[in-house]
Amino acid sequence: MKPLKLLAIVIIPLGIILAAVPADKTKRFKLSADELLQEAGTGAQFISPDVIADMLVQKDPSLQLIDVRTPEEFDAFSLPGAINIPLSNLLADENTNILNQDARMNVFYSNGSVTANEAWMLTRQLGYENNFVMEGGLNYWFGNILSAQAPSQTNPNEEFAKYDFRKSAAAALGGGGVVATEGSATAPKAAKPPVASKAKKKAAGGC
Amino acid sequence: MSDISKTERSKRYLNPYLGGVLLGLVLLAANFIAGRGLGASGAIKSVVATSIEVVDKNAVNTMPFMAEYAQSHSGSPMRSWLVFEMLGVLVGGFISGAIAGRLKLKVEHSPKITSRRRLVFALIGGTLFGFGSQLGRGCTSGSALSGMGVLSLGGFITMVGIFGTAYALAYFFRKNWI
Amino acid sequence: MGPLAPNGIISENTNFLLAFFIGIAFGWVLESSGFSSSRKLAGQFYGYDTVVLKVFFTGAITCMIGLLLMSLFGWIDLDLVYVNPTYLTSAIVGGVVMGAGFIMGGFCPGTSFTGAAIGKIDAMVFVGGLFIGIYGFAFTYPWWEKMYMAKYLGEPKISQSLGMSDGIFGLLLILVALGMFVVAEWAERKFPREEY
Repeated sequence: MKPLKLLAIVIIPLGIILAAVPADKTKRFKLSADELLQEAGTGAQFISPDVIADMLVQKDPSLQLIDVRTPEEFDAFSLPGAINIPLSNLLADENTNILNQDARMNVFYSNGSVTANEAWMLTRQLGYENNFVMEGGLNYWFGNILSAQAPSQTNPNEEFAKYDFRKSAAAALGGGGVVATEGSATAPKAAKPPVASKAKKKAAGGC
Repeated sequence: MSDISKTERSKRYLNPYLGGVLLGLVLLAANFIAGRGLGASGAIKSVVATSIEVVDKNAVNTMPFMAEYAQSHSGSPMRSWLVFEMLGVLVGGFISGAIAGRLKLKVEHSPKITSRRRLVFALIGGTLFGFGSQLGRGCTSGSALSGMGVLSLGGFITMVGIFGTAYALAYFFRKNWI
Repeated sequence: MGPLAPNGIISENTNFLLAFFIGIAFGWVLESSGFSSSRKLAGQFYGYDTVVLKVFFTGAITCMIGLLLMSLFGWIDLDLVYVNPTYLTSAIVGGVVMGAGFIMGGFCPGTSFTGAAIGKIDAMVFVGGLFIGIYGFAFTYPWWEKMYMAKYLGEPKISQSLGMSDGIFGLLLILVALGMFVVAEWAERKFPREEY
């Protein structure tokens, strides 16, 4: 058969296959560096510990806390309902379905904000959504929520409201000692949530 | 007699579509192995840069061209992917020509013009092409072909420039070829 | 997972060695397709020999299909593959100058090496011209620097600037190329010339 015909018969189907494939399947990183920088700059991934405390008190089921510290630190103390995915293990296959989903709100936390923010940047670059960072981490948690300081008389009312809320949250969540290792109530370690339905890969803008 | 030799000679060249597929596979291999496409003018640029450096060791500081080259190439200019690739091109072309019996020292030209005229135009053409390849950041292999293979817009634009201009000027140089 | 060298899977020296072998394959294919003959190359612009069009576009399309398919199977990370940058002004001016060089010289750098390898003296002279041209550029660089760096658009892909996915553009290119091949074959039948 004429070579041109043969060529056409082979490459047209291949072209159709390629045309049918959605764009983002062919790229590993869903966000370009510029896009990630913009998002990181807005700080929209940060969630205040007060909000977390509130959700815990209300027992909001959409919250999933993820402790990105080492297993030793996790065993010593963890927030109620938190699961442990050490940063070093973040990209393991078994964690993909937890990190790449749209059913719950994952909130990374660590001692400060750095490690948790690193986790956020990694997962965001892969195009995962619904992951957030608890601002200030456990340091802020202990310093400001569990051992909330009574505001001085001259502070605005909202400070008092915050203080009241934190006191009751601390009580509900078993606050008390500043040092994590001393008998502060540790919530029973949550087992990793059952692997949810297949992760949904949203078509990212990344072009 | 010319009919027989015409078919014989055209049999000796690969079918162009087959040649194209093979070329595409070579280009694909380059992209897969080295993360870059093929090229040619870049190798000559390396030799030029090396020679300038040999003559004037301080050229990197005095010539902006050398500074710009040094920015994108670390180490000795000759340790460049394209230099090794072009050495291979010489070998590969030679082997293919040898197998097909096309090795012959000659000036190829249309019977309507002299060898000298052909060589003069070859020199002028080469000079223009060398110069243009620097502006275009590549030649037909590096910018047009490899660029198209990765869907680069710049590569595509340069390709259109090359082919468009060649077609546009073809009439004026027709005597050299047909 | 490719590409091998940027991912550190092969060393730089291995990369250079493989460059040599890739070059051999490149030169071999070029020569076997007839690109060592300036008359065959120039024939593209007079309609009598369209080998340039066929080999060039088939090659580009084959590579494009290969890269997209490999990326689909996760064999290559396209973000690490070099995409030629777009400097609008110099891309156009360079292309025009090269086009003039092509129709006058009958070669491009890659094919001139191939021609020189089999003994074509006009090819060797062309290579000499390349050196002259590049030396000339090097020494007059300050005159052109502004134009050279003008209108940097990044490394956009054609599909991006047309606002379509790579795959759809690929299909489009395939169809356009096949159309061109049909026209080319018609032209060859209409303007026959002796084979070189």
